[in-house]
Amino acid sequence: MLNVVGKTILGGWLFATVFAIGIVAQKPIGTPNEGEVRKTAEASFRPQVKQIDAVTLGKLLQPHGKPLLINFWATWCDPCREEFPDLVKLNKEYSGKIDFITISLDELAEIDKDVPKFLFAMKADMPAYLLKTTEENDAISSVSKDWKGGLPFTILYNEKRDSVYTRQGKVKLDELRGKLNLLLGTVPAIQEVKH
Amino acid sequence: MRRKSIILLTVLVLSAFVFNPNVGNAGDFAIGTTLEDFSMPDTAGKTHSFNDLKGKNGSVIVFLSAQCPVVKGYNARINQIAADYESKGIKFIGINSNSTESLEWVKSDAAEVGYKFPLLIDKGNVLADKLGATVTPEAYYFDAKNVLKYHGAIDNDRSGKGITDNYLRTAFDAALNGKAIQKTRANAFGCSIKRLSEK
Repeated sequence: MLNVVGKTILGGWLFATVFAIGIVAQKPIGTPNEGEVRKTAEASFRPQVKQIDAVTLGKLLQPHGKPLLINFWATWCDPCREEFPDLVKLNKEYSGKIDFITISLDELAEIDKDVPKFLFAMKADMPAYLLKTTEENDAISSVSKDWKGGLPFTILYNEKRDSVYTRQGKVKLDELRGKLNLLLGTVPAIQEVKH
Repeated sequence: MRRKSIILLTVLVLSAFVFNPNVGNAGDFAIGTTLEDFSMPDTAGKTHSFNDLKGKNGSVIVFLSAQCPVVKGYNARINQIAADYESKGIKFIGINSNSTESLEWVKSDAAEVGYKFPLLIDKGNVLADKLGATVTPEAYYFDAKNVLKYHGAIDNDRSGKGITDNYLRTAFDAALNGKAIQKTRANAFGCSIKRLSEK
């Protein structure tokens, strides 16, 4: 048997609960406000950067039935940042026809800081990795025997993993397009000679 | 017959250029090669010859940059190594071959860093081309007879926090003790040398 005080407390609690449910129920489900929409859109584009070691790098260097383009870069490298808009443009142009990945040589601490921040600013949606290895010499040699580690570095492999284009320093977009078109057979060889 | 041979030879030579995508970077200076004497101005305009700058037990040509963050991370280590081995007869010579870095910039950066060795200006990246240098920092260690003994990175960790292989020091110690240098080449990530043709 509840006394008067008990009944009052219970009644108050029931009222508060029903009132709270009512407020929640009034809020339209699935129609977030403008700020939430923006945050969701940003989160969905937030580039994910995966850490890799030399072993994983070796696997990533294997083409999967398409030409494979790889760009090695770092946020501390000025020419790397300067050429990135061109690379993003190229990725859109050849979307679905080639595999294009980027590998950052930034410090590991930047994997969830400056690296994704820069890729987001560039609207770069190609798969992104960060290489961390104590054996940089071996990693560099595994990519190309002629590379000595200078950034930026871009390499294009054909489907058989033959290197058909390498460039240390900023890419020359027309030259790279020519190589890609030749590989894909989308432009006659004679047209490439004009570049 | 002779005509056919000439045509075949021409095709082979042309093929080497057409099918080698790295022909522009191929100017590597192999271990065991002797470097001829050369002269170059320092940041104050005074000309020095390689033979005048080298030590009695050899010299190190190290390609540097005023801009490159990797070089900035290595500057203190390079200075320390240079100081440690100067008394052992190995002298350092810094080279700046970057066409994008003005003399004033290089000069003020060198003053700020306080390099303990001469810094020479490789105008037109002539020496970089001769040695095939493409990265900063990149070191070339020559013995007393100017024969290349080691070429590449200074150590295996640009952060300096987890060095497990001091390539350059190990090469010096082996040579100074009359032993063979085990690792004569090692690469590491760094900045590209900006050549005149890319400016």
